[in-house]
Amino acid sequence: MQWLQHLPRHCLFLLACLAAWTSAVSQDEPVANFFGKHNGTSGHTNNWAVLVCASRYWFNYRHMANALGMYRTVKRLGIPDSNIILMLADDVACNARNKFPGSVYAKSGRHLDLYGGNIEVDYRGYEVTVENFIRLLTGRVDPSVPRSKRLLTDDRSNIFVYMTGHGGNEFLKFQDNEEISAFDIADAFEQMWQKKRYNEIFFMIDTCQANTMYSQFYSPNILATGSSEIGENSYSHENDNDVGVSVIDSYTHFVLEFMEGINKTSQVSMQDLFSSYDPVKIRSHPGVRSDLFQRPLEGALVTDFFGGVSQAEIFPVTEEDADTALQYITRVSFPDHVVHPDPVSPQACHDQGVNTTRSNATALTPEKDNIMLDVRWKDIRKWTSIAIVGFLVGWVSFVR
Amino acid sequence: MHWGGALFTLCLSASLAASSTNNVPSAISGERYNEDLFIRPLLGWQNLLEDVLRDSESSGQHYTLFPLTLGQILEEYSIAELHLTLNSGKWDYDHWGYPDDPSVGTGAELWAWMADGPSSTIDERWTGLRNALAGLFCASLGSLDMRRTSSPSTVFPISFSPSTPHALRYANLPSENVCTENLTPFVKLLPCKSHAGLATLLNPQRIFDADWHGLSIHLRSTEKGTELKLGVQAVFDPVRLSGGRRRDWSFRLLFDRMAGSSVVRVQVPDGESHALSPTFVADDSAAAVYNLITQVPLDVSMSWPYEHTFQYTRVHQSRLVPLSIQRTLRGSSQIHVGYFENLPALVTLWMHTMETKVDGVKRDDLISNVTYHPHHVLANGQKSPSTFQATLTIPAASTLHLSMEVSRAFLKYTEHPPDAMRGWDLPPAILFPVCDPTMGICDMRSTSADVRGRMYTPSLLIDLPTPDFSMPYNVIIFTCTLITLIFGSIFNLLTRSWVIVRVED
Repeated sequence: MQWLQHLPRHCLFLLACLAAWTSAVSQDEPVANFFGKHNGTSGHTNNWAVLVCASRYWFNYRHMANALGMYRTVKRLGIPDSNIILMLADDVACNARNKFPGSVYAKSGRHLDLYGGNIEVDYRGYEVTVENFIRLLTGRVDPSVPRSKRLLTDDRSNIFVYMTGHGGNEFLKFQDNEEISAFDIADAFEQMWQKKRYNEIFFMIDTCQANTMYSQFYSPNILATGSSEIGENSYSHENDNDVGVSVIDSYTHFVLEFMEGINKTSQVSMQDLFSSYDPVKIRSHPGVRSDLFQRPLEGALVTDFFGGVSQAEIFPVTEEDADTALQYITRVSFPDHVVHPDPVSPQACHDQGVNTTRSNATALTPEKDNIMLDVRWKDIRKWTSIAIVGFLVGWVSFVR
Repeated sequence: MHWGGALFTLCLSASLAASSTNNVPSAISGERYNEDLFIRPLLGWQNLLEDVLRDSESSGQHYTLFPLTLGQILEEYSIAELHLTLNSGKWDYDHWGYPDDPSVGTGAELWAWMADGPSSTIDERWTGLRNALAGLFCASLGSLDMRRTSSPSTVFPISFSPSTPHALRYANLPSENVCTENLTPFVKLLPCKSHAGLATLLNPQRIFDADWHGLSIHLRSTEKGTELKLGVQAVFDPVRLSGGRRRDWSFRLLFDRMAGSSVVRVQVPDGESHALSPTFVADDSAAAVYNLITQVPLDVSMSWPYEHTFQYTRVHQSRLVPLSIQRTLRGSSQIHVGYFENLPALVTLWMHTMETKVDGVKRDDLISNVTYHPHHVLANGQKSPSTFQATLTIPAASTLHLSMEVSRAFLKYTEHPPDAMRGWDLPPAILFPVCDPTMGICDMRSTSADVRGRMYTPSLLIDLPTPDFSMPYNVIIFTCTLITLIFGSIFNLLTRSWVIVRVED
C-alpha cells in the first residue's frame, strides 16, 4: 500500500498545481491582453495634442504654419478636434496682409492649404500667454473656462506637446512680451505627473537653441526632441514670393515630410523618426532626450503620440449569430416610446451610422462563446479542488 | 475711390419639415428649419449676400433640428434673447444703404436679455454665457468682461413682452478677428452641417475675401418657442475678383461652389442691359426666385453681355438712408435719432466741453435727454466703461457736429497688450431709432422713427501713452555695470598690494 501512503502528498501537489493554474488564468489576463496586444507596452487609451505657436505679427507666418502643419498631421492620423488644443498667437489666415484670405500655406507653390474649412483654434490672439499655457497643462483653470479650452487628460493619456516661436537658451518668447523658461515647463510636467494627468508625453520644440528647453525635465515617461543645440539657430526653410514671407521652418518641414509617409496603421517607430534627422539638410543639429522614457524607442510607435488610434478586433461572424445580435441591440437601444431620430440624417447628410451598427453586431457574438468556455473551465477547476480537499480531510480523519 | 461689386444677402430659407416624407418628427418636436439666400446688387456692381438659416424649437426638451449646445446654454443661464455678431470691415452706409441685418458693428458684439435677479447672479451668468460662447465659437469673448459691459436697454429693446422682469447685458470688442475657426462651429450648428442646403456655398476662402463680411447668431423667445436665426452677410466685388474688367458674377465666381438646395432670391437691377441665367420665376418684389429643389446643382449667374469692359462711374449721392454718419444729412426734414457710446475706460469724456454746432453756430437745443455714466472702479479693481446716451435732433439738409474733449488713460505697464504700439480700438457708436418727442405717445417698434434699425459708426483706433518696455532691462544693466565698476575699483584700491618678487637666476 505504498501509493496510499504517498496519496496525501500527491493530492497536495495536485491542489497546488490547480491553485497555480487558477491564479495564472485570472481576471487580469483579458484586461492586460487588451492593453498590451496592439500597443506594445505603451498602455495608453487616448491621445491628446497641445500645439502652441507663441509668436505674433505677420513676419512670423512660418510659426503659425508650423503649428498648423502639426495640427493637420495629428488630425489626419486620428486625433479628434476635441482632443487637440491649438494655440495661435495671431491670425494670419484672415490677416489684412494675406493675399490669400482664409488660407495658410507651408510650401512655396501653395498646393496644400493648411487652414482649410474645418479648423478650431482654442486659444487665439491675446489669450496665448504663459499663464494660460501653464494653467492648461496643470489643469488649474478658472471654473468659467469652457470645455474646449481644457486639457482633460487622465493617467492613460499620451500627450503630444509641440511648441514653436522665438527662443533661446532655456527660454521661449510668448508674443514678444513675456517668456517661459525650461524650468517652468519642467515643473508643469511634474505637476501633471503628480496629478496623474499623463501616461507619456512627447515634447517637440522648434526654436533657436531648442534642445536647451528640455534639459530641465525630471518627470518620468517624457520623450523630448528639439531642433537645434545650444548656440545654434534654427532656420526657416523657404519663402513664398506671393505670400511675401517665409512659410515654414526647416526642422518642422522635414518632420512633416516624414509624417506624410505615415498613416493610421503605420508601424513606424520613434527611432525611425529620429534617425531621419539630417543635420545637413535641416541646417542645425536636432537632439533627442530619452533617458526619462521607459520604453525602447524602437518599440514606441509614432502613432502612439501623433495618432488617435483606438484598438478594435473584428471577428468573423455566422449568420444566425448576427441575427440574434441585431435583435439584442434593437431591443436594448430602441424602446418603443422613443422617437426615431430625424429623417434628415440617413439620406440627406450621408450618415455613416449604418456601418457602426453592423460592426457592433460582429463584435458581440464571439464574446458570448468565449464567456461560455471560460465559465465551464472555472466550474471544473472549482469542483476538482473541492473534491481533492474533501478527500484529504476525509482520509486524514478516517486514518486517525 | 473705387467701388465695385454687388452686395449679396445670403438668407438661407428652406422648409425641410414640410418637404420631408416622414411627418413624425415635425408633429412631435415642433421644430422647423428654413433657409433663404438673398442677393442684392449695390451701387450697380457690388453684391450683398445674406444667408439666413432659421431654426425654431418648441418648448420641449427634444433637440433634433435645433442645436443642442445652444439650447443647453440658454437653459443654463436663463437667457430669453441672445444676439452675437462677428463682423469684419467697415459698413459703408453712404453707398450700400441699410443692411438686412442691422448689427454691422466691427468686431464682436454680444448682447443678451436674461431673467432678472440680484445683480451678482446676473453678472455671474453673463460671465458664464460669454465663456461658453467663447468656447463654442472659438472667439475671444472671454475678454468682454466688466470693462466692456453695460446695460443700454433703450438701444437694444427686448423683442417680446416678458411676463417676468429681464435684465440686459451688452458688450463690444472691436478688435476681434473673424476667420474660418469661427465659421466651422457656426456651420456645425446646422442640422446638415455643410453637406446639404445653402450652407454648401459657405466657402471660407471666398467669404473672408469679401469687402465686408459678418456672421450673426440671433436667438429670440417667441410664443411658439425659441427662434434661432444664423446669418452670414458679405459684400462681394466681382470687378475685383475678375481682375478689374467685368462686373458679371456667378456662384462659381463668388463662392467657387454650387448651391445644393433651398430657395435663392436675386434682386434684379432695373433698367440695365443684363442677362440673368438660368431662367427664373419672378416674384412680387421684382426678385428672381429659384427653387433649388427642382434645379440642383444651381449656378446663378448674371452677366452684361453688351458691355466689353466695366467702367467705373461717378458715384451719385444716393438717397438710400436719411442720415449719413459722416456728418452729412440729406433728408428733407429734421431727424430725431438716439446716439449711444459705450467706451472702455481708456478715454474719459468731459461733459462740460460738449458742444453741438450746426454750420459753425452753437445749437445746444438740438441735443436732449443726455444720460452719462462715467467709468468707475469696480469691486475687483477693474474700471467699468463710460456710457453716453443722448437724443439728437438734426435739422434738414445740414451737418451736425457733436464734439467733446477726451483725455486718455495712463495704463500700468502690465495692462498693455503685447502689441501696445498698435493702439486700442474704440467700439463703434450706435445711432438708434427714437420717436419724435413732439408726436405724442411713442412706440419704439413703430415705423414713426426716422432711422430704420440701428446704424453703426466706424470704430476708432486710439494711441495711448505707451511706456518704453525695454526700460527696466536697460536700467538694470546700466545700474549693475555702474555698481560693478565702483565696487571693483574701491575693492582693488583697498586690498591690492604691490609686492616685489625676486627672480632667481
